[in-house]
Amino acid sequence: MCAEPTGASGGRGGFGGGRGGGRGGPRGAPRGRGGPPGRGGRGGGRGGGVAKRGAGGRGGGRGAPRGRGGRGGGKPGARGGSNVILKPHRHKGVFIAEGKETLLVTKNLVPGEAVYGEKRISVEGSEEGTKVEYRVWNPFRSKLAAGILGGLDAIFIEPGKKVLYLGAASGTSVSHVADIVGPEGVVYAVEFSLRSGRDLIGMAKKRTNVIPIVEDARTPHRYRMLLSSVDVIFADVAQPDQARIVALNAEYFLKDGGHAVISIKASCIDSTVPAEAVFAREVDVLREHKFKPIEQVTLEPYERDHAMLSTSDTIALDLGPPFDDDPRSSSDFEEIAHPSAHNAYWSQSSPAHHTRDEELPLHYMSEEKARRRVTRGPGGNGGGLATQTVEQDLAYDAYDAEGKDVYSKMKASRGPISSGRPRRPPPPPPTTLREFFAQNLEHIPPIIYTLLSCWTRFHKIGKSDVVVWDEAHFGKFGSYYLKREFYFDVHPPLGKMLVGLAGLLAGYDGSFDFTSGATYPETVPYVAMRVMLATFGVAMVPLGWYTAVELGMSWMACHLVALMVLCDVAWLCISRFILLDSMLLFFTFTTVYCLAKFHNQQYRPFTVDWWVWLALTGWSIGCVCSVKWVGFFVTSLVGAYTIEDLWDKFGDLKMSARDQLRHWGARIACLIVLPILIYMASFKLHFMVLSHSGPGDAQMSSLFQANLEGNTFHENPLDVAIGSKVTLKNMGWGGGLLHSHVQTYPVGSEQQQVTCYHYKDENNDWVLLPRWDESPYDPEGPIRFLKDGDVIRLQHAPTTRNLHSHPIPAPVSKLNNEVSCYGNATVGDYQDYWVVEVVDDIHRGGKDKYDRIHSLTTRLRFRHQASGCYLRAANAILPQWGFKQIEVSCDKENNPKDVHTYWNVESHWNHRLPPGDVRYYKSPFLRDFWHLNVAMATSNNALIPDPDKEDILASKPLEWPFLHVGLRMCGWGDNQTKYYLIGTPIIWWGGTISLILGTLAALVYLMRQQRKYQDMEPREWDHFLYVGKIAMLGWLFHFVPFLIMGRVTYIHHYLPTLYFSVLMFGHLLDHFVFTSRRLSDRTKQIVFGVTVFAIVGTFWWFRGVAWGIDGPINEHWGLKWRSTWNIYNE
Amino acid sequence: MSSGGGPSRIRNRKAPSEASRDLSIEYDDDDERNNDVQHPRNRSYAEKVLETEQANVGMIALLTTLAFALRFFKINHPDQVVFDEVHFGKFASYYIQRQYYFDVHPPLAKLLFGLAGWFVGYDGTFGFENIGDSYTEAHVPYVGMRALPAILGSLTVPVVYAIMKECGFSTIVATFSACIVLFDNAHVAQDRLILLDATLIFFMTLTMYCYIRFKKLRYRDFSYDWWLWLLSCGTFMAFTWASKVNGILTVFAIGIAVIIDLWDILDIKKGHSLEYFWKHFAARAVAFIVLPVFLYLTIFWIHLSILTNSGPGDTFMSPAFQETLRGNELLLNSQEIRYYDTITIRHKDTRVFLHSHPDKYPLKYDDGRISSQGQQVTGYGHDDSNNYWQVIPTKALPETGRGRVVRDEDIFQLLHVNTQTLLLTHDVASPLMPTNEEFTTWPKDDLSRYNDTLFQLRLVDGYEGEPWKSKSGHFRLIHVPTKVAMWTHPKQLPDWAYKQQEINGNKNVNDKTAIWFVDNIVDDETGEDAKERTVDVPAKEPKSLNFFKKFFELQILMLQHNAGLTASHPYASGPINWPFLISGISFWTQSEGQKQIYFIGNIVGWWACVIGISLYTGIMLADLVARRRDVEPLTEPVRHRLLNSTGFFLLFWGVHYFPFFLMSRQLFLHHYLPSHVASALVAGSVLSFALSESVNYPVSVWGPRLRASKPRTYADLGSRGPIVVGAFVLLMFIFYVYIAPLTYGTPGLDGHAVNARRILSSWTLHFAAKPTDGI
Repeated sequence: MCAEPTGASGGRGGFGGGRGGGRGGPRGAPRGRGGPPGRGGRGGGRGGGVAKRGAGGRGGGRGAPRGRGGRGGGKPGARGGSNVILKPHRHKGVFIAEGKETLLVTKNLVPGEAVYGEKRISVEGSEEGTKVEYRVWNPFRSKLAAGILGGLDAIFIEPGKKVLYLGAASGTSVSHVADIVGPEGVVYAVEFSLRSGRDLIGMAKKRTNVIPIVEDARTPHRYRMLLSSVDVIFADVAQPDQARIVALNAEYFLKDGGHAVISIKASCIDSTVPAEAVFAREVDVLREHKFKPIEQVTLEPYERDHAMLSTSDTIALDLGPPFDDDPRSSSDFEEIAHPSAHNAYWSQSSPAHHTRDEELPLHYMSEEKARRRVTRGPGGNGGGLATQTVEQDLAYDAYDAEGKDVYSKMKASRGPISSGRPRRPPPPPPTTLREFFAQNLEHIPPIIYTLLSCWTRFHKIGKSDVVVWDEAHFGKFGSYYLKREFYFDVHPPLGKMLVGLAGLLAGYDGSFDFTSGATYPETVPYVAMRVMLATFGVAMVPLGWYTAVELGMSWMACHLVALMVLCDVAWLCISRFILLDSMLLFFTFTTVYCLAKFHNQQYRPFTVDWWVWLALTGWSIGCVCSVKWVGFFVTSLVGAYTIEDLWDKFGDLKMSARDQLRHWGARIACLIVLPILIYMASFKLHFMVLSHSGPGDAQMSSLFQANLEGNTFHENPLDVAIGSKVTLKNMGWGGGLLHSHVQTYPVGSEQQQVTCYHYKDENNDWVLLPRWDESPYDPEGPIRFLKDGDVIRLQHAPTTRNLHSHPIPAPVSKLNNEVSCYGNATVGDYQDYWVVEVVDDIHRGGKDKYDRIHSLTTRLRFRHQASGCYLRAANAILPQWGFKQIEVSCDKENNPKDVHTYWNVESHWNHRLPPGDVRYYKSPFLRDFWHLNVAMATSNNALIPDPDKEDILASKPLEWPFLHVGLRMCGWGDNQTKYYLIGTPIIWWGGTISLILGTLAALVYLMRQQRKYQDMEPREWDHFLYVGKIAMLGWLFHFVPFLIMGRVTYIHHYLPTLYFSVLMFGHLLDHFVFTSRRLSDRTKQIVFGVTVFAIVGTFWWFRGVAWGIDGPINEHWGLKWRSTWNIYNE
Repeated sequence: MSSGGGPSRIRNRKAPSEASRDLSIEYDDDDERNNDVQHPRNRSYAEKVLETEQANVGMIALLTTLAFALRFFKINHPDQVVFDEVHFGKFASYYIQRQYYFDVHPPLAKLLFGLAGWFVGYDGTFGFENIGDSYTEAHVPYVGMRALPAILGSLTVPVVYAIMKECGFSTIVATFSACIVLFDNAHVAQDRLILLDATLIFFMTLTMYCYIRFKKLRYRDFSYDWWLWLLSCGTFMAFTWASKVNGILTVFAIGIAVIIDLWDILDIKKGHSLEYFWKHFAARAVAFIVLPVFLYLTIFWIHLSILTNSGPGDTFMSPAFQETLRGNELLLNSQEIRYYDTITIRHKDTRVFLHSHPDKYPLKYDDGRISSQGQQVTGYGHDDSNNYWQVIPTKALPETGRGRVVRDEDIFQLLHVNTQTLLLTHDVASPLMPTNEEFTTWPKDDLSRYNDTLFQLRLVDGYEGEPWKSKSGHFRLIHVPTKVAMWTHPKQLPDWAYKQQEINGNKNVNDKTAIWFVDNIVDDETGEDAKERTVDVPAKEPKSLNFFKKFFELQILMLQHNAGLTASHPYASGPINWPFLISGISFWTQSEGQKQIYFIGNIVGWWACVIGISLYTGIMLADLVARRRDVEPLTEPVRHRLLNSTGFFLLFWGVHYFPFFLMSRQLFLHHYLPSHVASALVAGSVLSFALSESVNYPVSVWGPRLRASKPRTYADLGSRGPIVVGAFVLLMFIFYVYIAPLTYGTPGLDGHAVNARRILSSWTLHFAAKPTDGI
């Protein structure tokens, strides 16, 4: 990548991304990299004339950076003790170190000092006791080195030369150039970026032959006083007008006969034309400025799209290089295909051409690796797995400069991803099995964790053979799917359908009714069902691992996150039963994982991967919301992320309008439409499976019920007539049946109560009768069909009282009139008259098209004739004296749009009329879908704390984060297997504390930024914010709603929330410890070890609460860590 | 979350320019630059007339006079208790009688009412029992008490005007904002009655005014004036907070403004040192934390030092608190209990006595569960001899002396005197709650269940060996073998227990409602009347209790009760309805003459405010979006003014409005009034923006270190301003007069007139003519 032309920093704006990845920074003392435990401490004892501080030397390097390797004496080290032979390279001043692998090195001008943490090789000097030190020159880092290895015939940079280095960046390559030119030569290093310039100056302090110039290379007149003429110009300014810049500088400084070496990046200059064309064009420009191209090499495999061009200034009469006279082909230079020339260079031990890849797995050495904060995070290279990889590591370890961010100078400073897991190009297809393993080493830890997770989740899963806790609900709901009976529940159906599926697969026939605490009979394969559902719980652990990887955490943090997910006893416990929580957690985890994965695809929008992960995020959202509505919380996290993302894109003025629209469109399609479709599909499936009448019928509209098998509504006579006995269903979403019972109102008129009720019994039956002043209903007379505008009387069939209203305030909705039942078959008054008003008919449309009223489909309103009010049943609940049924009142406001005043005839009995036919009663899916959802919402809100239950099971949200309460999941008798829902305290407390610390840290950083303190590189800051926001916002979105909502809450509601505090825990440890520059590796390892021990230890201590405790609970010592836990019997 | 949103980008964009490195300070926040420099003499005629000192004074005088006239008009009508005067009038009486009362609101506004009542010679004997009670018959000088909010409410109008003026808006715009408050039926209705909101709003506007004055002096920091306005802002903020519980929102609003302000000072580009920042921080900490807390405490101290007599608020408080009140029952009748005393035990929350009678529990309940069929133990509301229990020791007692006193953590039995049975509980489910244990009794002589009759006394907040006292000794009774607490709840038992309350054993021994106290000692151990033990005791002096203990106890209770006000009320409404005036509150009705007071705002003014807020949000959002695309539709000066001045108003509006969405307590339209005032300010500044893009500059006071960098500019609305505002005010006034009968409660309206005034169908006016009448 290259600098953006508009970058504020001008010339080298591209460097803005900073060396954020660098653990030590160029200023830091050389330091070994943090190896996994057990790898340290080996480096000291290596002898030999030339001690190579290779991979094995890391331990020593950490402790004493200066030359301890040489002092090792005669005892050969375990590895890498072989001698290294130094040979001069064809180019003067450059050397080759041949040891186990072959490296390009330069002689260190300042022995004992590394510039950017590169490896150094000490060699016994010519005199006894003196040492010469060489620094390894990484071709992946320095284009000049790549050029040398790429076979550049002449670099013109030799000892004693004066070099003008344009685009010096932090001075990593410059330092090698300085090594080459030696004390006699001079390097003028020009760099425009202030930040890089600072590092450059720091480097120059040690190397007196480097003269740092922090200026724009476009304005050579500004620094012309600083330098005289030079022999060579080396240019690596990733700017579109590079050729012009070089020419300009050459005009000022290049002495006659001087040379220029230019690194050209094709995509930087014009990404739309092929690289070759770009190079050709640049060459043309140079020709115009009287440069004569000598040679071009491509820097593959070290750099993509780069070419190195060495030219000769034709001003010079003496063209120096002899080969320039050689006849050339049609082109003025020859292209040298990359590997052949220097194959042997790299791997003497592997003669075969292709083995180079084996020794130097290129994908591990990509530039992104260098950008990593910690190189060996599982996200980085899979080195998280200990020692067996050493042999593999060796080849590239030597070049691994501790993840110093030298390469990011190539990157746009604010590329689309400066946070999250660094980008890594796909590895080449493996050619051997060994290679395949090598490439997939990073997957070994998650595999191990998954196996462990299988063990913890499945261990003794069938120990308790009774229905534990909410298995009573969800097991039962699963049974309904198997029996295909319609039921009603407050949760969306996906999770319960999966329970049903598990039952089906396990061979369960749905006959058990899952009474709480009952023992499972032989016929219920409860163990198999539990295992299937626990599988979702098993998958949480690898998901946790990979999420941490995708979030760009270091390998230690990844291990911790996976361990915490593995070892939390609450997650473990809840996953082991027939409950929805394991699925909810699983889909919550996948959502976060997909989001993180999608975030990492941002650098190349609209590619296949990008679409896949975006769509998977949407799919995940759809699933999580279809399991429990709690899933909307993680959805809002995705929403917040997307809004911020789109806002950023909106501010990107360079993005075309078309791309903007595509971005918006893609998100709307994948994150809104797709989840809704999935959600609706789960309901469609729900309706399709549950095709029989069951206990949940009454919650649904009459029409829906008519379509259930076993329901007789479709046999209703179609047209309603006077004398019919009917039940009336309120059409408000989730409305019940008009009901009355002998109990009377304790307030108001004290007449018989009228309520709305979901349960079907004969108290819902009403007979339609004519007015008192008309002739009484004659069962033999002509049938009088009911029509719009009729004034009728509604008689309650069991008590023969009449539906009545009067101007007395209703008991709850005091602004409305009370509705009661009054009189009897013969006694009544004008207050019993109700005007039937037709609203419309679901099938037949507006009311002017027909005059008869159909059962089920016609929507009616009942107006009280005397007071003009409308019969209404909204969501007001009567007090205990009304059995908490829904209040029915008479609404004085005439609001024709109020569905709570709409009624339809549900059951209809009239033996004089012919039965109807099911084809009249089709129910549209969308209507049922919406109806069911409203009914669910209504019931959900009605789950208000019940004083009887509260003190034992329920808990308040504020009691969760610090694990104030636990939950007894089953009976607590001595002979029962007891499960106690409680988290692993270390994980819960640590997570909560880190949420607080994280917020404080962010505030402190912000305040320091306001004072311009530079605590970290922008990339680090972005990373800190990105992960912090995912964790903090996710936690808040999952926690705060519980504070506000009035419904009864249990501790298991915190379980999805916990995940985000775990992520925050890992992130903060990562931020403050594992990637800290101040702490030594030993400290980091100690912290890591202690944390792991604490987590695993506490888990082991508490494992019983999830695996089941036998015997008297009080005999299990030490489980009550907080006085508020009711784990022991008092 | 996604990349690149970091502050560093912003920093880059605003990289300090050469100019800002200059040592002298320029205007920053209000950095309004106006290129078309305007000479004051070139302004339009209207502006020249209006922007003079005389016009200003004249306008203030006019507004104030009008405000007083509108608020005092017929203030003696109605001569009856209206709406919440029931509460607040009563509280004033208590101050005058110095009786302790309890209320959820802090006392300042009520103290002022008490003061006003005392000032006009009210003796505090009127009960304020019901809405509609007559004042004249009871000779209550209610006009004097109503005058207090009317005065404060009237003064709010000029303060609103002054706020707008100080913020740099034209006279005419300031008049516009003031008129929205002046001609508002809701404010007038609220101001004329003995209600707290007028005080609250007055102090809130004063707080805003002082804060603006303080902010304007930021280039003369630490000057005398600066300190003056800073401290007065803190003072008024404390008064707002102490007037009504919602006043805490003002504290939040100021707090947010101060944080933003400090954040700016912290910015290194301002060139201040950290010492300078800490100085500012300390000054604000003193003015906005230390001073208000001190004042708040002082007000409570006054409150508590006035209310020294026992009163209706006693029962809310802890026994220790109650004993500090003169004439409190606890103080007079609290006795140490000795073994073999016969006592009555009462539940603290539901006030029922622990009761037993010879009837047994039915063997089988309706739900099929089985009982022990023991003797019933119930909670009974009335005093009778079945409530008598005798304390039986489980240890040897000395013959006489202090050793016979029952103490904390003692274990004893309770003997039901009438049936000579011992109280017992066991692991049998109680009649109504399967989770709790049944309470019953057991014959005294049958020792087979001895263990189940043992109970332990746990005094609330007791220390070891504390004697158990009647009245004041609140306690839990813990069953020794099964560790349950004796508990009751308001659910009634069925007919077989005469609908008395169920007593059961609650496994949660720490339940807040498991607290009981001994109501009375009926007989002492010798069988004599316990009163005799009292005879010798001289009348006790009230004990003293640390003020801070009292204060914190009171604060916690206030919070709890405020949250507990959840009962439904026919005129309660949700916050979303408020800005649109969807429904009002019926304050008072009188059938005779069909008079009523219906609390509703001036729909013209309120909707103008809503439009103003929507426009403002719309403009700022559009500006935000446009700037994101590098288009700058607003000029810098205008944008700064909109952000800083109007943003401050909007902050007050939002902070006083949105928290209500989270509250589950009863909410009424009058909770919106503080926000309404703030929205009037927003509406004014939006009007100013709509009429002209010119602004008055500079607004802040010139400081000594300040370099005059930009020329002075003047807002000029031209002749449009007076015309638009004049028309609007006229419209408001017409509407005001039209609705006035509902606001002043006079004259009475016939049904059709009521219907005509029912502008929104959701207004529930009384005496409306019904089209369906007469059927």
